[in-house]
Amino acid sequence: MAFVLTVNGASHSVDVDPQTPLLWVIRDQIGLTGTKFSCGIGQCGACTVHVDGQPTRSCTFRADMAAGKSITTIEGLSPDGNHPIQLAWKELDAPQCGYCQSGMIMSALALLSRNPNPSDADIDAEVTNACRCSSYHRVRKAIHLAADLMNAERGGSDE
Amino acid sequence: MNRSGMDRREFLAATSATSAAFVLGFWVPPRTANAQVPPTGASWYEDPSTPEINAWIVIAPDDTVTIRIAQTELGQGVWTSNAMMVCEELQCDWTRVRPQYASANRDAREMAPEWTLNVMGNGGTDPNGGGEPGFGNRARTGVQGIPDSLYRRMRTNAASSVKDGRYYLQLAGAEARERLLLAAAEQWSVPAAELRAMDSVITHAATGRTTTYGAIAHLAAATPHPNPEAITIKPPDQWRLLGTEQKNLDVPMKVTGETIYAIDVRVPGMKWAAVKSCPVYGGDVRSYDFEAIRDRPGVRSAQQFPIPDPALTRGRVFSGGVAVIADTWYQAKTALDQMPIEWEIPQKQAAFNTANMHEALLAALDEPGRVRVDQGDFDAAFAGAAKVVEATYSTPYLPRARMEPGNATVLVTDDRVDIWIGDQSPQETRFSASQITGIPEQNVYLHMCHLGGGFGRNGNGPQAEQAIMIANANRGTPIHLLWTREEDFIGTTYRAMSVARLRAGLDADGWPIALDVRIGMQEGGFGPDASFNVTSRYHVPNYRFSTHTTDFHVPVGTRRGVGQAANEFYRESFIDELAHAAGRDPYLYRRELLARTNLPFKDDMIKALDMAAEMSGWGTPLPQGKARAIALEERGAEVEGSATISAMVHTVSVNREGVVRLERVDVAHDMGFGLINPLSVKKQIEGQITWFYNDAMHQACNIVDGRIDENNFHRFSLSRIDEDPPEINIRFFESGHWLIGMGHDRGTSVQSAIGDAVFQITGKRFRDLPFGTHDLSWG
Repeated sequence: MAFVLTVNGASHSVDVDPQTPLLWVIRDQIGLTGTKFSCGIGQCGACTVHVDGQPTRSCTFRADMAAGKSITTIEGLSPDGNHPIQLAWKELDAPQCGYCQSGMIMSALALLSRNPNPSDADIDAEVTNACRCSSYHRVRKAIHLAADLMNAERGGSDE
Repeated sequence: MNRSGMDRREFLAATSATSAAFVLGFWVPPRTANAQVPPTGASWYEDPSTPEINAWIVIAPDDTVTIRIAQTELGQGVWTSNAMMVCEELQCDWTRVRPQYASANRDAREMAPEWTLNVMGNGGTDPNGGGEPGFGNRARTGVQGIPDSLYRRMRTNAASSVKDGRYYLQLAGAEARERLLLAAAEQWSVPAAELRAMDSVITHAATGRTTTYGAIAHLAAATPHPNPEAITIKPPDQWRLLGTEQKNLDVPMKVTGETIYAIDVRVPGMKWAAVKSCPVYGGDVRSYDFEAIRDRPGVRSAQQFPIPDPALTRGRVFSGGVAVIADTWYQAKTALDQMPIEWEIPQKQAAFNTANMHEALLAALDEPGRVRVDQGDFDAAFAGAAKVVEATYSTPYLPRARMEPGNATVLVTDDRVDIWIGDQSPQETRFSASQITGIPEQNVYLHMCHLGGGFGRNGNGPQAEQAIMIANANRGTPIHLLWTREEDFIGTTYRAMSVARLRAGLDADGWPIALDVRIGMQEGGFGPDASFNVTSRYHVPNYRFSTHTTDFHVPVGTRRGVGQAANEFYRESFIDELAHAAGRDPYLYRRELLARTNLPFKDDMIKALDMAAEMSGWGTPLPQGKARAIALEERGAEVEGSATISAMVHTVSVNREGVVRLERVDVAHDMGFGLINPLSVKKQIEGQITWFYNDAMHQACNIVDGRIDENNFHRFSLSRIDEDPPEINIRFFESGHWLIGMGHDRGTSVQSAIGDAVFQITGKRFRDLPFGTHDLSWG
């Protein structure tokens, strides 16, 4: 079945079994490999992307259900790797092996988009991605730093 | 020697990249044109116009320094720390350093330079020396690491990358620096001794002349060192870069999704393979019906493969299986799910269940076992004890469960094998490829990728062996094998389930006068003797230690912490129990028992305990439902030489419903003569605290009818950020030895500490991990 997916602002015509999970269309048809496969059952969050702004476990989300919606992957976060979340992640040296980090960052983006000043409890509730190396300690600090950077940006543009 | 076919334009594009923008990439065989992966960073690339200085260092005309790394980056920071060790001596500009994987292929063809074989100095307690690298005793089999091949130990395990690599990486940097100075001296006709090198600039103060490494590198490459055996390395008091916190060089690519893990490799013409192996180890495929799925979209073929030769997987018996090969992995996987498969399941293996295995291990403890230590008049001491304390503990089978499922891409042609893989033991994989295909190791090329987590798995098989077998049967077609998560639980090796029975006789004051330690583990399990095999650590005049084995079928291997992890849980838990039995403070009880020993590093162990206790506010009141527990972690501290010592105090809460929270961790950690990159050390400590928290609270794999029962993350739990301790305080203390490594057996104290905190709060003592399976409620 052929349909059109909009990923990071670009339209892609894909022709796949409509039950194919969005993850595999993003990785194999569209060729963006920053989004990762790990559990395949929507548990770990390594495959997290945004579908119309909602953080979505793409390994269990049918690709055809994303047709007509706006999909954002890690590659769409910034053109130069300098989104405030990425800057904060680099400042704290948050990743270890890094495999889960695309999904972790997309979950953090979803949180910060809705909640510019998340508490630790908000982070605990919203960022449910698994990291086997345990980057959690630095990820938490990086989310708070990213919030500060994003608030400073907003403050700057408001003035 | 241009072995790669990469053209000069591509090479310059690669080497002119700045350190922040380096690209981890791959060289692709010329016969597979139109490479989709960038060719930059090909690890054996040698360009006549930009010759290497030595096998570790290439300096481009723009002063970019490429440093070759023989270990695999799996999140521990080895790309950064190993590069730092070279850069320290080379005195090049750190901001222009670009790590690159060393070539396992070249390692098969070249021997190490003589000058890198001499470990100078007096071992682990000499600050001016090379320390105690651990590869010297391995045989040249391709399996255990090769003492005199070019890159020696292309293995990433046992927390040994820094310990084993430091002296010769420093030597490599120093050798190159001296040759750069010699070349400049020759060009300017001045004595080399009058030149200074700093941040890639060479200066002759008397004449004010300067040049850069990039400008002189081609001359240095042609200038041999007249006496390389005389080169010395900088001791820690001369370090400028080492010992400073350096952010990891590959992190910028990990926040953009650009890092190419093995799963991301795409080569032209590549097909995907999904596999199913017999879920009972030792089993095989009886039959499968490819006709049932032949017409599904994208499906190409099915390929049965046998049990990988145990000689290639360190004696472990995995399973035979079948692969479906298709255009995409999802097509292959969904077709495989529909393909009827009959398994040949050996009855003996299918009779194994956790309960009967646990029983068999406990029964083995009553047998004589293998006595490893027998000190003092053991039986008499027990006869005279005022009190006897006995406890039996257990830990389950545990997989590594790294986030990236097992995978590898393999192309076999008639005279060459190419493998794209994340691998902790590329020399072993090279050997496997050669054995399976009949193509000599010299023609096996490994294209190393960063690993999506390691923790000991890779090189233990059989992801590489399966992929090589399938590709060997499909010569000319690159095959990308990828396991499902469920398959990853079958293909991994496990830390062996074990049991321990500890029995102590106490004197009238509560001090142990006799200790009997028995560990039960399956034959072939790693480290049943770990950390008990020299002394009891805590002083006891009469000590006996024995190991007891049974025959089980689960393939067991080296998982993070190896034998120390379980055995430290047993030992430190028991010391807590003895302290409580004696009515003494567990910190001061440990301290006194260490003080009574004559262990070479007892002062450092006491220092660690004191520092951690002081950091934690040990002894100050806590509200109801909270408790502190302390434990020591050490490796090597019972003998002279290198060692790593740490102590942690864990502040734990348990609410009335039995929910455990690790609230705070205070860490006192040995820095030896100096840490290479303290930032990476901190990250590794943070990671290991959570690793062993998971072992303590959540993780277990059970055996049901011979197969692993928990095989995905809905039943094999991984803690999330909400369980991360809110407060981790880390302090380092200096000591008089080199570290033995710290990447895998720190944080084991979490296990006994949670157990003891639960006891303090609830009055209940649990001895079987994970604690999360017990009712921890109270009040």
